[in-house]
Amino acid sequence: MPISNENIIVADNLTISYDLHRERKKLIALQDINLEIKKGEFVVLVGPSGCGKTSFINAVSGLIPKSGGSVKVRGEEVTAPGPDRAMVFQDYALLPWRTVESNIRLPYELQNLGISEEEKKQRVKNCLELVDLAGFEKSFPYELSGGMKQRVGIARALATNPDILLADEPFAAIDAMTREAMQAEMERIVMETGQTCVFITHSIDEAILLGDRVVVISYRPGKIKEIVNIDFPRPRMNNSEVKISKTYAELRDHIWNLVKDEAMQTTRGE
Amino acid sequence: MELSQRRSNADYERGIEMAKATEQIQYETDDPNRIQDVGWTFKEVWRRTRGFVVTSVNLIIFFILWEIVTTYGNINSLFLPKASAMFQELWVGMTTRAPEGAVFSGSILDHFLHSFTNLMTGLAIAMAIGIPGGLLMGGNKYVESILSPYVWALASLPRIALVPLFILFLGFTTTMQVTIIVISAVFPIVINAWAGVKTTEKSLLAAAKVFGANRVQLYYKVVLPYTLPFIISGIQQGIGRGLIGVVIAELFGGSNGLGYLIQRSADTFNTAMTFAVLLLLIVMSLSLINFTRWLEAKVAPWRNVNHL
Repeated sequence: MPISNENIIVADNLTISYDLHRERKKLIALQDINLEIKKGEFVVLVGPSGCGKTSFINAVSGLIPKSGGSVKVRGEEVTAPGPDRAMVFQDYALLPWRTVESNIRLPYELQNLGISEEEKKQRVKNCLELVDLAGFEKSFPYELSGGMKQRVGIARALATNPDILLADEPFAAIDAMTREAMQAEMERIVMETGQTCVFITHSIDEAILLGDRVVVISYRPGKIKEIVNIDFPRPRMNNSEVKISKTYAELRDHIWNLVKDEAMQTTRGE
Repeated sequence: MELSQRRSNADYERGIEMAKATEQIQYETDDPNRIQDVGWTFKEVWRRTRGFVVTSVNLIIFFILWEIVTTYGNINSLFLPKASAMFQELWVGMTTRAPEGAVFSGSILDHFLHSFTNLMTGLAIAMAIGIPGGLLMGGNKYVESILSPYVWALASLPRIALVPLFILFLGFTTTMQVTIIVISAVFPIVINAWAGVKTTEKSLLAAAKVFGANRVQLYYKVVLPYTLPFIISGIQQGIGRGLIGVVIAELFGGSNGLGYLIQRSADTFNTAMTFAVLLLLIVMSLSLINFTRWLEAKVAPWRNVNHL
């Protein structure tokens, strides 16, 4: 799906802070973030641990309040979660007492989307096929491998047919081989559905392979350091030319240089 | 270059083609013979039944040794009766009832029914108080801070210390006995339910919120199912404590029940009866606890707890 010129998410001077009760202080996680994300775009956020990437995604989803500025989705201020935004979690966040199918149906039970029972069934079936899990409807999450669990998480996020897919380090807990396969899957799904995707990762390779733009965020307070455009044609995942190209190496080096100092800082705990 | 130009329609179509191609490959590598039937071999039957067989043989040997030692050893049957005498006492006691209008029943069954009914009533009341109480404490900060000092105070007090007080309040009655059972069993249930609510995984709550849960749905769809295995293990502990409550209440104040029967049979030098009642208590307690374990495995297979 080609990217349109219409902005779907607009963050305007967005600031997010947390109360540190014990010290009676406020910790500013994100400061003055200005970011416009276009419909159909795949934006990847990269930055050191604790720089506020998750806070950004949580603010877009409506899970946490903002302390300054604004986030608008399709021109409307975000105040609460909504069916147009779905989220994929790092630790999958599947309800362990529900089967795969029942987990994917969860969004239908929690909100009235005005769709018929027939269509719900059809959509669950489509979602399961899209993530290659047909035949596992009656399995419980604890019976699945990590990669399969996350595919259930993705299927659940796709169930409401959201415009925006928010992914918070979805493949962080998955082994390296499965991870590559999952990245290909993610690219294919987002291409097929034409969704806008905001994706957090710590892997620079993942960022370059998946993102149309890579937003590098600095550490304490989180600010946008640079936005890097990635111009490789899609699909990139099964295209071996991408990874061995000179541009790829240059981009990788460039982004590493941007985050290097920050990453070193976090290890020293400054 | 404009974003829209970078990701053209041709790219999109090529992507779909490629995605379909990879799917094809994945299906071809899926071997339909991956899951094979394993028949019933002797080894397989043994693997499944060995736990039961070993335990049975173990117990049979234990009782046979007991019988040999008490028959051929120089042991006063006042202190240690024969195993066979104990079983006979148990069998007779469980198959006969006291005649109509008897002042005191020597039938174990009568006393067992009295104790068991009390225990069940007490547990039911403890659950009816403990489950909603614990859930409320976990869910509401104000309820928590108001109730928690009392819960901790009473939970840490040895329950036996309250028996004289309850006898004073309620006399030597069944009500007194049931009250002691309730007081014994209610706290593990409250504390477990409370802890269950408190430890509900944050990411599960976040997921439910993202997908549109309101406050009521959050409790109903996430917190309650998450807390259920905690509540069951609270009930499990409650059964153990409740049984202590049963025996204590009957030892101190009562004229019926298994606790009273232990006292009475020991007082009348009927040691075989005492042992028979002890064995019955063990069997009753283990059955109830195993039932709750089975229930826990049934409702919360994902917890996959390795029991001792």
